[in-house]
Amino acid sequence: MSTNRFLLLAVAVVLGLGVGLYTLQGAPDAPPAVKTATLLPAPLDIPDFSLLDQDANPVGRTFFEGQWDLVFFGFTHCPDICPTTLQTLSVARRMLVEDGFENPPRIVLVSVDPARDTPDKVKTYVEYFGEDVAGLTGAEDALRELTDGLGIFFQREQTDAENYNVDHSAVVLVLNPAGQFTALFSAPHRPDTFVNDLPGIFAL
Amino acid sequence: MRKLALLALIVTAACSSESGPPLVISDLEITRPMPGASMSAGYFLLENRSAEAITITRVDSPQFGRVEVHETILENDVSKMRRLDALTIPANGSVRLERGGKHLMLMRPADDVSSVELGFFTSEGLVLSTSTRVAER
Repeated sequence: MSTNRFLLLAVAVVLGLGVGLYTLQGAPDAPPAVKTATLLPAPLDIPDFSLLDQDANPVGRTFFEGQWDLVFFGFTHCPDICPTTLQTLSVARRMLVEDGFENPPRIVLVSVDPARDTPDKVKTYVEYFGEDVAGLTGAEDALRELTDGLGIFFQREQTDAENYNVDHSAVVLVLNPAGQFTALFSAPHRPDTFVNDLPGIFAL
Repeated sequence: MRKLALLALIVTAACSSESGPPLVISDLEITRPMPGASMSAGYFLLENRSAEAITITRVDSPQFGRVEVHETILENDVSKMRRLDALTIPANGSVRLERGGKHLMLMRPADDVSSVELGFFTSEGLVLSTSTRVAER
């Protein structure tokens, strides 16, 4: 074998190994596979609705357009799972930013306790969890227009107690920048599942 | 020699009668009330080092108007919170109150809740008192 043919063969072997490794590992920038979230077969248009944001501005479906959103349904008088979930989402968002993620999602709390959660209360509450956290509230009928269309359940506890509870869906919905329902995360929630799955969901 | 044996017996008896409290609390965390909300949550580990089950029927705190034991239950992705009338720690066992599970719900906070005292009661009276600095979430 001549020196040239030997070199050609060596280069071919190295290239082959490289392509093989690339194929096995995926492109260096490819996001990790989605492991935890449930992806909808196709993005789903959400119903139009009429609620108030934390600054008492009337908002509808277009509120969810223009950015990725992580949407959680809860209430400010919930001492355990609601602050824990918002904290989890806030930590996940910060981790994405630290990873160099350029368009981290907005976090949105939709109150399922319209009787107690005024826009003012929601504003004070969501601001505690950092920047780019928004809150929606409004009349119960208007709220149901949104929740019914998304399959979200909530029901106020039948009691006269001052601190009644509201049973509610604990999922986190992912809405794409067109304002469409794209994926959901089931509870219990952990920051690492969002950090792993969201880049893959955003790349769809 | 007989005196030595007697002394050993006395020491052993003293040790067993002072073997520590039956109920021990650790990992205590009381969260700061959320802005705009009038309640906090409490998480901890309760260990029962006695040979009999201990049932907590009441928890009090001078820094809160009312304290209840609650449990967050996840069923088919729906979160439900229910008040528990009592919290039983099995003999030589433990119960952990944690996020997303059993927890203390502390309502109507005083103006200053930077430090919180807690008293745990059975039907026979106070069995454990403790205090802690309030934690950020």
